[in-house]
Amino acid sequence: MKRFLILWRKEVATYFLSPIGYIVMIFFLVVMGFSFWLLVNVLSQGTEGGAVMNELFGSIFFWITLLIVAPVVTMRLFSEEKRSGTLETLMTAPVRDTEVVLAKYAGALTFYVLLWVPTAAYAFILKMFELPGTPVDLGPMYSGYAGALLVGAFYLAVGIFTSSLTRNQIVAAIACFALICSAFFAGFLPYLVRSPQMRDALGYVSSVMYMMDFSRGAPDTRAVVFHLSGVVLMLFLTVKVLESRRWL
Amino acid sequence: MGQDPAAVAEILNKHVRRRSKAKKRSEYLFSYGTAMIKVSHLSKRFPGVTAVDDVSFEVRQGEIVGFLGPNGAGKTTTMRILCGYLPASRGRVEVAGHDVFSESLEVRRRIGYMPENVPLYPEMRVDEYLMFRAQLRGLPLRDGRRRLEEVRALCGLENAGRRIIGQLSKGYRQRVGLADALIHDPELVILDEPTIGLDPNQIREVRDLIRSLAPRHTVLLSTHILSEAEVTCERVIIINRGRIVASDSPANLRRLVHIGAVVRVELKAEKPQVRGVLAGLPAVENLVVEGEDNGWLRVRVEGSADVDLRENIFDAVTQRGWKLRELHMEPSRLEEVFASLTQGETVSETSGAGQKEDSVE
Repeated sequence: MKRFLILWRKEVATYFLSPIGYIVMIFFLVVMGFSFWLLVNVLSQGTEGGAVMNELFGSIFFWITLLIVAPVVTMRLFSEEKRSGTLETLMTAPVRDTEVVLAKYAGALTFYVLLWVPTAAYAFILKMFELPGTPVDLGPMYSGYAGALLVGAFYLAVGIFTSSLTRNQIVAAIACFALICSAFFAGFLPYLVRSPQMRDALGYVSSVMYMMDFSRGAPDTRAVVFHLSGVVLMLFLTVKVLESRRWL
Repeated sequence: MGQDPAAVAEILNKHVRRRSKAKKRSEYLFSYGTAMIKVSHLSKRFPGVTAVDDVSFEVRQGEIVGFLGPNGAGKTTTMRILCGYLPASRGRVEVAGHDVFSESLEVRRRIGYMPENVPLYPEMRVDEYLMFRAQLRGLPLRDGRRRLEEVRALCGLENAGRRIIGQLSKGYRQRVGLADALIHDPELVILDEPTIGLDPNQIREVRDLIRSLAPRHTVLLSTHILSEAEVTCERVIIINRGRIVASDSPANLRRLVHIGAVVRVELKAEKPQVRGVLAGLPAVENLVVEGEDNGWLRVRVEGSADVDLRENIFDAVTQRGWKLRELHMEPSRLEEVFASLTQGETVSETSGAGQKEDSVE
């Protein structure tokens, strides 16, 4: 546990020691700020109980941001260590493979959460300009955050997995992007198939549909199970890849 | 009796070596003291290549042992196996009594390993990195700080603590790597090519540092530079194509391979006469006139091993009244031993190895 914390702290610190961390933060806040502006626009036109948090947590901007941020945040994790040879110094220190994978993953997830922190200001702004008689319901915002965390956690886990496969950061990023894009587009399949059984089945693996529920303020435990099992699978595979140098 | 156990072991080893001349030299049979590293019948195969082939050796506590071999001989692979980074295909490796595969963490706690080319995190500061590494090895914060001071002083990093690793010169990076390998005060220090890419002053500093580590630490270092092994190490293990071809102190290795003595003579005389006279001396095997300069001939005389030709040459020269301005015997160097051992010849057949004098460095 102690070694996990030491490794985790180093991973988080590394994000703030490289320009990429700041570039991602700026990009993220610009897009989220734009999404918030859209949300305020919709509100100012006056809607009746619509799922307005969709603008923040279900829009195409949200998804594109996530699809770009996840590979960029994770591409470095193992590829860079492999390329520079520091994996050798790291793995010859008395640390377990699992500890290293979990610490790196936790570091990426921490950075991802920190990306979202400034958007908490939106909640305050909404509350501040709340009109008397039309209270702003922040419930959907909380569940929207929960959904963003779940989907993000899954995408980051895919990213750490692809990063463990190669010593080239670009390859890792593109492989992660391809995988999570496939997962994202598969989320639209329920709209395309005709048979209702198929639609139900595909609905279980559709992050897009889950996110729509979450941003309506209707979180679904199936989403939790789906995304967390995805995380576990990806981390398990990452540990196996890391171990694989001992298989020969 | 009261004999030094090391000397006894040496005698026994020599005896065994003599009796099994043409056979494998990978067995190191007798040793004294506690073994820090115990490698027996270690093999490592990669798809298509056998990097390490049935290697056995021991390193005693407090020894400085050099792994010497041309590039691609299997040095790095062996070291990686010792550190638990790679598994062995076959054989058993123990460090301080712990198996490197089944008790990997125990072993890794006791090892300070500096890989080739010293990989570091370029975005971190020196102190930051060393503290991170110290804590990763389980040093409590206070001990970590104390050790940080110590290794910084030891490795000449007193003023570099706040500097960013990515901006350091090669020499400083090497020091950081050494400090990293030493910060947790490991029993065994493994250094892969510790002086590669350094300038001569830095090389001397690193060598002095390595020598100062024994007997508190056991040191295993690899190098392809012979003079380095000769200067730094108490014992040299020569490895070639994944096999150990020799293992002994530098002095004994030189004796092991009977390299002919080489004498350089500079004298004033006619070339044919010199040839006739000197080549006719007893024990002279070869004679080369290497150059002429204002009537002075530079001659290189090669004789069989353990014979000092100088006296005979001097007598011959003075008898004929020639002028002599230089007469000196070249000690056979480890490089010749190395060349003869790693170029596919059997150790016992290398009496003529002195001819391959211009070898690597």
